[in-house]
Amino acid sequence: MRRFILPLAFALIGLILFGQGAYIHAKALLAQVLLERAFAQSIATGHPVKPWSWADTWPVARIEVKRLHASAIVLAGSSGQALAFGPGHVEQTADAGERGVAVYSAHRDTHFRFLKDVTIGDEIDVTRRDGKIFRYRADRSSVVRFDQSGIDPVTDGYELVLSTCWPFDALTSGPERYLLHATLIESDSRTRESDSRTLESGS
Amino acid sequence: MTIYDACESSPQIRLSRRMRIVLFFLVEGVAALVIGFAALFLSFDPGWSAELPQQAVLRPSDARSGSLLFKTDDGYADALRLGIDVDLTVSGPTVRARVTQIFRNPTKDWVEATYVYPLPAGGAVDTLKMVVGDRIVVGDIKERQQARTIYEQAKQNGQKAALTEQERPNIFTNSVANIGPGETVLVQIEYQEPVQQNGNEFSLRVPMVVGPRYNPRPVVQSVDLRADGSGLGATSTDPVPDRNRISPEVLDPATNASINPTNITVHLNAGFPLGEVKSHFHQVKIENPDSTTRVVKLAEGPVPADRDFELTWKPAAEKAPSVGLFREHVGNSDYLLAFVTPPSVEQAQRQQLAREVIFVIDNSGSMGGTSIIQAKASLLYALGRLQPTDRFNVIRFDDTMDTLFPTPVAANSANIGNATSFVSAIQARGGTEMVPAMRAALSDTNHDDANSVRQVVFLTDGAIGNEQQLFETISALRGRSRVFMVGIGSAPNTYLMTRAAELGRGTFTHIGSVEQVDERMRDLFAKLENPAVTNLSAKFSDAIADLTPSALPDIYRDEPLVLAAKLDKLAGSVEIKGRIGDRPWSVTLPLAGAAEGKGLSKLWARRKIADAEVARTTRQESPEDADKSILALALEHQLVTRLTSLVAVDKTPSRPEGEPLKLSELPLNLPAGWDFAKVFGERPSLPAAPTGRRADAGDGKMHLAALKRSPVATQRPGTIQLPKTATDAELKMIAGVILLTVSLLLLVFNRRQTSPQ
Repeated sequence: MRRFILPLAFALIGLILFGQGAYIHAKALLAQVLLERAFAQSIATGHPVKPWSWADTWPVARIEVKRLHASAIVLAGSSGQALAFGPGHVEQTADAGERGVAVYSAHRDTHFRFLKDVTIGDEIDVTRRDGKIFRYRADRSSVVRFDQSGIDPVTDGYELVLSTCWPFDALTSGPERYLLHATLIESDSRTRESDSRTLESGS
Repeated sequence: MTIYDACESSPQIRLSRRMRIVLFFLVEGVAALVIGFAALFLSFDPGWSAELPQQAVLRPSDARSGSLLFKTDDGYADALRLGIDVDLTVSGPTVRARVTQIFRNPTKDWVEATYVYPLPAGGAVDTLKMVVGDRIVVGDIKERQQARTIYEQAKQNGQKAALTEQERPNIFTNSVANIGPGETVLVQIEYQEPVQQNGNEFSLRVPMVVGPRYNPRPVVQSVDLRADGSGLGATSTDPVPDRNRISPEVLDPATNASINPTNITVHLNAGFPLGEVKSHFHQVKIENPDSTTRVVKLAEGPVPADRDFELTWKPAAEKAPSVGLFREHVGNSDYLLAFVTPPSVEQAQRQQLAREVIFVIDNSGSMGGTSIIQAKASLLYALGRLQPTDRFNVIRFDDTMDTLFPTPVAANSANIGNATSFVSAIQARGGTEMVPAMRAALSDTNHDDANSVRQVVFLTDGAIGNEQQLFETISALRGRSRVFMVGIGSAPNTYLMTRAAELGRGTFTHIGSVEQVDERMRDLFAKLENPAVTNLSAKFSDAIADLTPSALPDIYRDEPLVLAAKLDKLAGSVEIKGRIGDRPWSVTLPLAGAAEGKGLSKLWARRKIADAEVARTTRQESPEDADKSILALALEHQLVTRLTSLVAVDKTPSRPEGEPLKLSELPLNLPAGWDFAKVFGERPSLPAAPTGRRADAGDGKMHLAALKRSPVATQRPGTIQLPKTATDAELKMIAGVILLTVSLLLLVFNRRQTSPQ
């Protein structure tokens, strides 16, 4: 009997670890569904709506890359808790569509997994909480240290930066970050109604 | 399972032996991998935490620095502006001050303004008025939390509201909500203060600016501070829990014109024929309507609020009256204020006690500029005054500390020479870790020595935010030492000085300019060298009196004893007894002769509140009891304290619903004579840093809460910190799969071993 203890212990630990990993992915997926709902409601009401009652953050924007059929709801703040559920809007950076740089960060293995497939020239749509849609074009990518991003938050341009960990397929966390820089090419201010309609047909 | 089946069915022993070896290596390899991964987890953990974005920078409370200030490109040009008018009336022993702050909003937004300002530490703030257009709204005294709630409610409703809160006994904050675009709102506070007397000279001070404070980091270091078993060292949290509230923006004088223009008028009714009247730091015009009255105005109109205003006056007669007795009737009680100056005893009549003097000099960055020059000049003067029989030592501190001699040494010429060159070499830099220095100064090597007196002379501007820690240190460790505070510079922290001197049973001397060094230090040495009046007590013959200060402090040469009392009836007399050196002294004052005074009840209440705060510090009273008596006094006498605030709300809502309200914290001037770079470090993003400026690495160590809110020229956040954006999901899943495989293989292995038997 004793010789079964070791393999069973291994199996148990293995299952727990696998389960934890899967839980992270499951949480990321499930949260996005709830966030979609909350975001649609935010646009309709014009007020921030919390995705679930005990949340300490709320959706602020939606990022979409049509070519890759990828989209994610961005949350306010880039704390570890927020990033578990969706990309975060880094504090002290501009809102999308405003002068300055809007920086959104997300995990490379969940919401920004698609980032490695985005190529220069791709169009990125950002829908703000007030329903306005801004279209950016990816114009450059770079790899930087987390504390030397070189992002000037008060630049004169209208820019967007999507950031995630680099390298994409590494297993452990490192100090390097992959930045995708994009510049505003089109600001679209359609009315709220038509927006929420697009959203509903999209989801 | 297929392997298992295959092995089970075929009895080929050679194959199984090979399989066993293969399996063994496989298990070994996998185990190595697992251990390797475990090691990865371990070694990377600190790496991760180091890479986290600095949360401190991103706290929402920091957003108080105001988006209004953040977004204007051309500095504060567009921001809210403030004008200050100070009107002082001196009637005999008391000063009544009316401070009017004029908030003007030239922006297009609705604004909430907060302004941090200093008042005299003994000032009793009792009135708040808000003038909106032609309406005057009078504030009510409320418990602090309640006042805050009322104010927030009015702010939400779009009503104009003003709130006066005490941050320290000498630092107050006025908040004004809903100032409309283009509007001007007047906020007026009034306070009562006793006139200061020293020998022949009477004085009043109007502090004008809160100097940037050094707020020590929340470190574990403060736990061992009171390891003397007094139980005062409860695990320390942040030594300055309210650092945000006392650290407004400070403008760099090099890149900004001075702000906050201030006008001052003093109506001086001394009650006796006046001799010399002098303003020490401001040019003034003095009118003489009659012999006992003066009107003092600023000569060249409003001045920037960057230095304290000090006015002194002397009687025309040779000697100032040595006794003053004043009364006021409020409600059912009489209030009494008495000044008694004990006679000075001649040197020859007593034997000189040997002294041990410890000099402590603050050479932190806030002392940079003229302050350090004054401090060094004062200390050099003091060294020159030491007698050969004295023993002494010198300690200097910033965020580091040096003690000149290991133990106090005799004041012979060699040691004095040593100390003089040590002091001359001191430069101002770094932070202000005052508590360790005070501890070192109070550590008494021969505390049983009754044949000498021990005096600590502490020279500082008091620009720290953790006053309470310093007070606790003094009250716990003072022993037989007496602490004499010397306040240096244009805007010292008088609350720290007076309270520290009171707890240390010494005095507070203020030196505001290099010219004052000689005169003030001579006064101080007269106090150090002459015996104090000790064992003081006061006894009322008929009346039942509630006396403050409850324990009468020792009085030094030329100082008056100031007594305030609440009496049930104004009858009989009061007898004051004490000892001057070794001779008994007493004086009897008949109460019937007291003159009518104004606002004495407020002074009495303020003084009682200070007593309660001291009792709280020294743990003579439990915090709850002290707070209870403070609250009762404050509510009865309408005073702003740590626990009570004044709040005024305009009933008519003015801000239309839906209009956003922006917060604007009014910036302060740097106190005159301060060196901006020494306090805040280098100006990081000036286009081209002047090459002559030293890039002093020591300044970088300085931790000021206000650092990131330094002036607009340096306001741009350097670069954005990116959060950690990798999960360990994949890692965990892979490790999980590997472990599952291993367990499976082990099972097979076990099975193979068992099957032959």
